Amino acid sequence: MPTSPAVEIIPTTQRSLNKKKFHVAPYVLILPAIIMLLVAMGYPLVWQIWASFQHFGLAQQFGAPPDFVGFENYVAVFTSTQTWAVVARSLAFCLVNAILTVLIGVGIALLMNAVNKAIRLILQIAMLLAWAMPVVAAVTVWIWVFDWRRGIINYLFGLGTHNWLGTSLSLYFVATVIVVWMSVPFVAFSVYAGLTQVSEEVMEAAQLDGASGIARFFEIIVPMIRPVLMIVILLQVIWDLRVFTQIRMLQDAQTPLNSDLLGTFIYRLGVGSGDFSMASALSIFVLIITVLFSIAYVIQLVKEDS
Amino acid sequence: MRGKIAVAALGIAAALVMTGCGTTGGTPTGAATSAGTETTAAAAKTPEDITFWLIGGDTPQELRDYLISQYKAVNGGTLTIEEQTWGDIITKLTTSMPDAANTPDVTEIGNTQSPTFTNIGAFLDISDMYAELGGSKLLQSFVEVGEVGGKNYTLPYYFGSRYMFYRTDVWKAAGYNEPPKTLDDFNKAVIDITAKNPSNIKDFSGLFLGGQDWRNGISWIFANGGELATVNNGTWTSTLSDPNTIKGLQQLQELQQKASMAPSTAKDQSPWLYINDTDSAKEEDGTVTSTSMLAATIMAPGWAHWSIGNLEQVDGKDSRVWDDSKFGVFALPGNDGKPAPVFAGGSNVGISAKSTHVEGAKDLMRIIFSKDYQEMLGKNGLGPANSDYVSALGDDQFAQALIASASNSKLTPAAPGWATVENSLKLEEFFQKVADGGDITALAAEYDALITPMLNGK
Amino acid sequence: MSTQTPTKRFRIRPSRIIAGFAAIVVALIWVFPVYWMISSSLLPNVVLTSTTPRFFPYGGSFDNYGSVLSAGMKDGQWWTSNFMRAMGVSLSVTLISVFFALLFAFLAALAISRFKFRGRKSFVLAILFIQMLPAEGLFIAQYKMMSSLGEATHGLIGLNSIIGVSILYIAAVIPFTVWMLRGFVAGVPAELEESAQVDGCTPTGAFFRITFPLLAPGLVASGVYAFLQAWNEFTIALVILQKEDMRSLPLWLRTFIQGSQARETDWGAVMAASTLVAIPVIIFFLCVQGRLTSGLVAGAVKG
Repeated sequence: MPTSPAVEIIPTTQRSLNKKKFHVAPYVLILPAIIMLLVAMGYPLVWQIWASFQHFGLAQQFGAPPDFVGFENYVAVFTSTQTWAVVARSLAFCLVNAILTVLIGVGIALLMNAVNKAIRLILQIAMLLAWAMPVVAAVTVWIWVFDWRRGIINYLFGLGTHNWLGTSLSLYFVATVIVVWMSVPFVAFSVYAGLTQVSEEVMEAAQLDGASGIARFFEIIVPMIRPVLMIVILLQVIWDLRVFTQIRMLQDAQTPLNSDLLGTFIYRLGVGSGDFSMASALSIFVLIITVLFSIAYVIQLVKEDS
Repeated sequence: MRGKIAVAALGIAAALVMTGCGTTGGTPTGAATSAGTETTAAAAKTPEDITFWLIGGDTPQELRDYLISQYKAVNGGTLTIEEQTWGDIITKLTTSMPDAANTPDVTEIGNTQSPTFTNIGAFLDISDMYAELGGSKLLQSFVEVGEVGGKNYTLPYYFGSRYMFYRTDVWKAAGYNEPPKTLDDFNKAVIDITAKNPSNIKDFSGLFLGGQDWRNGISWIFANGGELATVNNGTWTSTLSDPNTIKGLQQLQELQQKASMAPSTAKDQSPWLYINDTDSAKEEDGTVTSTSMLAATIMAPGWAHWSIGNLEQVDGKDSRVWDDSKFGVFALPGNDGKPAPVFAGGSNVGISAKSTHVEGAKDLMRIIFSKDYQEMLGKNGLGPANSDYVSALGDDQFAQALIASASNSKLTPAAPGWATVENSLKLEEFFQKVADGGDITALAAEYDALITPMLNGK
Repeated sequence: MSTQTPTKRFRIRPSRIIAGFAAIVVALIWVFPVYWMISSSLLPNVVLTSTTPRFFPYGGSFDNYGSVLSAGMKDGQWWTSNFMRAMGVSLSVTLISVFFALLFAFLAALAISRFKFRGRKSFVLAILFIQMLPAEGLFIAQYKMMSSLGEATHGLIGLNSIIGVSILYIAAVIPFTVWMLRGFVAGVPAELEESAQVDGCTPTGAFFRITFPLLAPGLVASGVYAFLQAWNEFTIALVILQKEDMRSLPLWLRTFIQGSQARETDWGAVMAASTLVAIPVIIFFLCVQGRLTSGLVAGAVKG
């Protein structure tokens, strides 16, 4: 990704417009995106906020009038120890996964950069294959790889009938393997693209001299790929906090105690148990937490961007 | 899969020596009785195109084809059958059923899910058809979960109570030549077989029962006179702490600790894998890999017998062939001379309250409850809703075990919030903690407090 | 494993050998689940349920594929099978989503990287924060909305409609694609276009001949992202695409897996089905591979 600061020069196509004056062009340009977001998210978001102040269960879904309950749902969410336990687990899961993904991704990007063309191609194709695996298919394969009775992991490591999905911690370990495996290719390619823009002399100097190479990596390369890293880290955190499909499918296979993360918890509350108002309140609550956690980072990101 | 049934049926017919069952009289493996016989002329009715949701692949294709052609003949309209999955059916029903434009006209629904949806008015009152569709001949425990305030909303579609599959050879080697006659004998036997481990297999289970498998586990509660919940003046109370329930749970815990090596997080999926002995094929170099038998006894729905047996080549394909010298079935016995009350698996069927094609939907209900269709269900191993046609199941050992186990089977409480309880996975948690050796009285009190509000939740 | 260095280098350095070796090991680890899926898809279920895994699919056949592809066929025509119908739905939804998401995101990226305007910052913040809303709570409302839209538009945009579900997907990927493209657009100096115009191009011509090719890698990269999102998504699809013949591939695969589990999970068939779902993406990826990886470096950005 480019490291040059955003250019403020008006493109030639709009040369006739003076940048000091108010002009319509940018608004016209962002309009389609905004319309799409409003159409798809506007009403659902408004409904969600509305529902979070009602009592809205399965009966209301089937036509009974909802009752306004004020902040009752929020109070329930906020005071439930279960909510906080799920939030804590989700944060821990998200941090571990994001950190592992970024570290391994950067490592693989450096590898791509360090090896010759043929090996690089092999590595890139392997990454692409993993990246291309549809989530449902990938999780299915991994569940089977970790199967307690016929899984290849138990066979290869002589673990007998170790049940990998037997406790929530162990289930999270499997989920981490899956999530990291699936997300690393994106990070690796993005960072690799960033690396290719660091001039070759710098790269060679940095990667060659053993121990001092590590120092140079942090002093030279990291600053240069910082913009890519910043955004990749943010995205991984956002995505890993919302992880849903992987956990849900693992839970479909086996459900150890207390294995819900935020995504599956909201789903179980809402569509699963028919308590849509609590699910809505929890969603808004999660949005607020995420924004609070990331606001400093995001502001920094936006500042660097402009 | 169809092929395997035929194979299994042949195997049974060939070797029905030791179990003392009558001859099978040929279990027809379901050649569709041709539909055209009772074509009620579509009188002056306007044909209606309707949608019918089936859940899972339990209803075989020929039965679906029969419904479609018969519906065409009776109503003139087109019946569209859409297959849903058990994992997502609640999501689908919750979104679609309140929506007149997109609701299925008729839908199958899990019998334990039925109370929640009938209580909130998702289904049409079909009390006026009740007698016509079979009335008191219909399986009453299923009728009850589709009933609210004396009105009928959903009716039984099919039943499939679970019974025991066991390794006769392993049981014999441990000194048991006959299936047990009482529940106490059964419990003792499987614990003893586990201890003796006649085949000397690592992690061997006399009875393979997953820790979270409450659907099978509740049989021990029911058999000791316990209940999951009771209703009083319309208010439901979770009764895990009831002395009889506790007694059943104690037996279950003992079995979990001493007879079952299944993971405590295992549910009721595919237990039959564990009682086959050659679960592996011959390798190319001729070596045969180690036996994979892990259990002497499992509890499973009747159709599991298609997946149980010796591994043999049939028509060039590896298939399971039932072998009476190794495998047997019996209904879990109770302590009162009757079979134990086991969980009655199966589902209900009803018309959506929002359906705009009520006449067509009713036509379909009439076809489903007709003699022909009920017998077709029976011939395919699915317990027919109407007791008049249960004989269609045949009289082989599987049919006998199914009928015996169903004769005393029980359903989960018909509480409005039962689906919520199931979806919350609290029962899985509770049974797992019991299986892991937790303090039953304390756990029961804890989960009673959690489940009672859910049961009544509106 | 050769660590042949490019011609202009003279020495084979030990660090390169280690790196090459490490790269191969990493590649093997990453590719293993994919290999395992394909290998298993060729084996009969009785072999797969054995406690001893078979590492190479000897004795394999394409039987599993046959049974997967023939399920739900009408009149014995393979293209009417459930799988092919789901493939049609997935392809349509994915192509529509990718095209419009890229178009709209590109326009928005142009706005935020080439213009200073009131509301720019809020827009940027909004697209970052909107991704933080948990999607699992929105389903009911999205269903209700699509149901009403469907009545208003006679099914054109609504439940069980390609356009309906595409709109939800486009909205889901726009925030990220805007952000990603913004970087690429900003990286193309406007001077380049100006100099092209000096050379006699029209403004539009300059854009398409100079700027657009430079953006291609960025478009490919964000296109890949949008493609994967639309191709993989199944929770929105579960709620919106309820009709059996409107199921997308992930839904079809899930139905297939769950249907199979109800009796005895036919792992061979499940793996064959998974492979079939993965193949189009793999083909797509191998096609754009060059652009995705090396294209990013292309000339003008660096120089």
